[in-house]
Amino acid sequence: MLDWNAYVREHLGALRLRPEDASEVSEELAAHLEEGYEALRAQGLPDEEALIETGLQTGSWDKLRRGVNSERRRIPLMDRVKQIWIPSLLTLFTAWTMLALLMIAGLRPLVWYTGGVRYFILYVPWLLLLPFIGAAGAYLSRRAKATGWRVYFSGAFPAVAIAIVFLLIMPFRLVVDPYVVHDFEWAGLASMTFNWVVIPGIALCFGVAFQGFWKSCGQVAS
Amino acid sequence: MIRTELKRGTGELSVLSVLEDGPLHGYEIGRRIEEQSGGALRYTLAALYPLLYRMERRGWLRGEWETGSSGRRRRCYRLLPRGRKMLKPMRAEWADLFRVLRRVAKVNHA
Repeated sequence: MLDWNAYVREHLGALRLRPEDASEVSEELAAHLEEGYEALRAQGLPDEEALIETGLQTGSWDKLRRGVNSERRRIPLMDRVKQIWIPSLLTLFTAWTMLALLMIAGLRPLVWYTGGVRYFILYVPWLLLLPFIGAAGAYLSRRAKATGWRVYFSGAFPAVAIAIVFLLIMPFRLVVDPYVVHDFEWAGLASMTFNWVVIPGIALCFGVAFQGFWKSCGQVAS
Repeated sequence: MIRTELKRGTGELSVLSVLEDGPLHGYEIGRRIEEQSGGALRYTLAALYPLLYRMERRGWLRGEWETGSSGRRRRCYRLLPRGRKMLKPMRAEWADLFRVLRRVAKVNHA
């Protein structure tokens, strides 16, 4: 019995794809060839002739490799822009503009000091808006056919952006700013991360998850 | 058998049309097209799979792995709303082409 997967891998050569994509393509092509071969055998063709005929059904392996490489490549740039960057930047802009507007309108945060530099700060109306902003980002991302982490990344980008800023700025300030070094406390960094990354991130992700749930309900209904 | 140069461009409409009735895996898509065209349209793997992947990337189809009763895993392609929407204008475009060919090239039974 011929190992069709090995046959495909041998003839197709190395694909310029991620390993999991390449093995998926090999498996799919192998299943196609195997089925074609079995159909020919069922028609009464001898084994050798069925193998030759199945090989002919492939066409040019070079053409197949080129075609698969260009069509199965990771999402092209424009798709990536539509699926990730446009929704991400929109959620980022909307989230922080809303916070700025609420602050200009006189919003006062709820603050709890828990000693030292540890404190919790909650801009409640803003946090209540974040699930909607996350859901809007997820909607835009899913509309561009994104799935999985791309949708969550787009919806939760305002929190991701702050996390990146913390990661980039803190080591820099620790090096160049002696006051920061002097006053630095891990607890302070932890509470800032909690206030500006974790809590907003949860609110945004809730919106993303809810939008997904809403969409799947709509699909079931239709 | 239709020449490759003429066949080029028929692939998208053929695939969308056979998937209109329900999801199919790659082998079955090729077989249905061949059967329904009376053997005139035959796609090799080299022609069919890049086409399926391109249509999938455009959001016209979705390929999902399914395990059949025999235990064999196959990737089934399902027509998505965006692909279904493409069918009508594509059919109209081909009908226009046939009309034009009838006038210009005196093709009677296009």
